[in-house]
Parts: sequence; structure tokens; C-alpha cells
Amino acid sequence: MGRDMDVRALADEDLIPMMARGDARAFEALYERHSGAAYSLAYRMVGKQAMAEDVIQEAFINLWRSGAHYDRGRGSVRTWILGIVHHRAIDALRRSSVHSKRRSDDETAAERLESPERVEEDVARRDEASIVRGALDVLPADQLKVIELAYFGGFTHTEIADMLESPIGTVKGRMRLGLKKMREALAHGAVEA
Amino acid sequence: MNVGPDHERWADWAGVYVLGALPEDDCAAYEDHLAHCPACRAEAEELRVAAQAIPLSAPPMLPPASLKARIMAEVEREAELLASAGGAPKPAPKRAKRRFGLRLPMPAVALACAALIAGVVLGGVLFGADGGRTIDMQSTLPNASAELEMTDDGAILVANNLPTPPEGKVYMVWIQKPGQAPEPTSALFTPRRDGSATASVTGDMDDVETVLVNTEPLGGSTTPTSEPFLTASLS
Repeated sequence: MGRDMDVRALADEDLIPMMARGDARAFEALYERHSGAAYSLAYRMVGKQAMAEDVIQEAFINLWRSGAHYDRGRGSVRTWILGIVHHRAIDALRRSSVHSKRRSDDETAAERLESPERVEEDVARRDEASIVRGALDVLPADQLKVIELAYFGGFTHTEIADMLESPIGTVKGRMRLGLKKMREALAHGAVEA
Repeated sequence: MNVGPDHERWADWAGVYVLGALPEDDCAAYEDHLAHCPACRAEAEELRVAAQAIPLSAPPMLPPASLKARIMAEVEREAELLASAGGAPKPAPKRAKRRFGLRLPMPAVALACAALIAGVVLGGVLFGADGGRTIDMQSTLPNASAELEMTDDGAILVANNLPTPPEGKVYMVWIQKPGQAPEPTSALFTPRRDGSATASVTGDMDDVETVLVNTEPLGGSTTPTSEPFLTASLS
């Protein structure tokens, strides 16, 4: 019990080398800390429970097996984990027939119910999500659309240009301008990835 | 700020790049440009802050507990293997009644383990130095095939040409002892895109007469809700 508590108290950056040496408790602590955001991202992208679970399973097993490759110079552990999930979700989307479809109805409403021990963490995540959504909401609709299609949809800029029947240069410009505005809005909301 | 060669060509690409929306070929070319263009590098870093926050905007959800169970089963199994090979200083905690776990293809395991325990001969570690008998599984699905490879601490199920389970369903491994009903395991899996799948058995198989695979709802069941389509007789 004491050792478990100690592991959970460690920073992400301290857990990574432990996990890379084969410590399953360190991995479990990282899973507990980041699986919520990771699953939320996966479900937001693929829109299906089974596929989202597959994405998370692949991503975290990949994390377990590649912990030694984490480079803190390229961002936080959370950014790294969400990056792995993002890539896995894009892979899943591109090999599935649902790439052009958006999320289905609320098939997992029951899973959104929080267990008591998760309340505090979820409140923090809700606040965080709210701030980032606020930064996205300041964007004009055309800029928001290309950013969401690229990030959550996994589409390339040329695919988006085809979809929207817009010149590629316009799509590139909207992405760049949208991210700049979002960056400014985040600076006021003080959210770091 | 200084700009690199071909800056005009790449000036608008930072947003596309940090969103991951560049095709691979363009991505490599742009990264080559970034290495020589401080101005584009600075802009990409600035926009990356925004791009990295985007995933946090997803509506918060909790992953199902069964997902963690599946992942931890695999992680603990591999941690135990690494510990027994002398490569891991801290053995994984034991968990009651967690006997089965998913496995990824052998090359992935080999690659990962090589990074963790350099110098270990993986074949001997994972499957036992003397190998083990292999049992063909009976299949009721056309074209599907599977075999069960017995190991020192369980067995490994390797299947091919499996169809994708219906939406909301997964495949589940069961064990059955003589005269008893099938017992559930935590081995829930879906085949890869090419129809192949692997699941590992890490418990004592001495008293097991039959290994079964059927289709169950996500998260599995405590009693079978469908007929098995793969069966291996160990007797």
C-alpha cells in the first residue's frame, strides 16, 4: 500500500524511466493519470466505443513498450501520450469505413457517469476542456472547421480542400490563422498541454 | 528573423504541419526546411502549443474498467517475463484471477523487449526453451484457423482469417475443466485488420480440458452467451 502510494505521488517524468525498466506499477500510475484524457480523445475522434477501446489498448501497450523513447525536450508526458493516441486513432480511422462519419449517438452514456474516486480528477479535466473549447470557440467557423477536420478527423490538408471545395492555399491559411488565434486565447486561459 | 532557403514556398505550412495534416512525403520535406529556417521553426513551435491543447477539448469521458483490466493483464504478463529473465528490477504485482491477456504480434514483442532487456534470447524467454506442443483448434467459421501453443506457464492462441466481430462485440477465451461449465477469462480480443489475432494464457493449464473462443458483448460475460467457434481439446 505504502509503495503504491509512493508511486502515485511521483511525477510523470519520474514514472517513465521506472516503466521503461519494466515496472508495471509505474505504468498503472500513468494509466490512471492519463487514460481519461486519452479515452476522451480517442472517442472524440473515432466515435465508436469498441474502436476507441482498441485505440487506447494499442496506444498504452505501445507506451509500455516504448517508454525509453520519451524525450522530455519535445513536451510533457501527457502531450507524448496524447500524441500516441492521436496517431493510433488516425490509423484506425484510415483503415475503417467510418472515416467520414462523425460520432454516433450517445451509446456510452452510462460510461460518462463518474465513480466517486474520479470526481476530482474529472472536475479538473472538465475545467481544462472548457478552457480549450473556449479558445476554439473564438475562431471563425471556417477556421474551426479545417482545424477540427485535420486534428480530430485525421484528414490531410488536400483531403480537406477537396471536401470543402476550397483552394489548398485557403485551407493552409485558415489552419495557420486559426491556430494563431487559439494560441492567443489560450495565453489568457493559461492551459498548457 | 532569418529565413532559410525556399522560405517562400513553405511559409504557410506550419499550421498544416503541427496539426498532422501533411502527407508523409511533404512532412519529410517540410521538416528538412524547418531544420534550415529559424523563422518557420519559431512559428511551428508557437502554433504547436495550440495544436497540443486541442485534444484536451474533447468531452471528458471515463474509459471502462474492463479496458484497464485487459491492458494491465498484458503489461503484468510482460513485466513478469522480463523480471524472470532478469531484465526488470521490479516485478509486477500479482493480481488474482487474471490469467489471460492479449498479445501483439511477436515482432512487436521482440522489438519492445529488446529495448528493455538487451542480450536476452527472446524465443527462449517467451515460449520456453524447449518449445511445447501445438494443438490445432477446431473452427466452425469458414476459412478461419487457429492453434494453441502450450508454454511452460500457459498457452498462446494464434488465429488467422477471423472476421471482425459484430459491432459492440468482442471475442472471448474460455477454459473448461472436465464435467464443469466453461470459466471466463479476461482474454477479450478483436482480430487485426488482416484477420489475425493472438491471445496468451498465463495460468496453470493442468486441469483444463478444453479452451474455447466465442463472441461476447464488450467487457465479456460471466457465462457464455453464444456458441464457441474455436475449440481446442487439451486431453
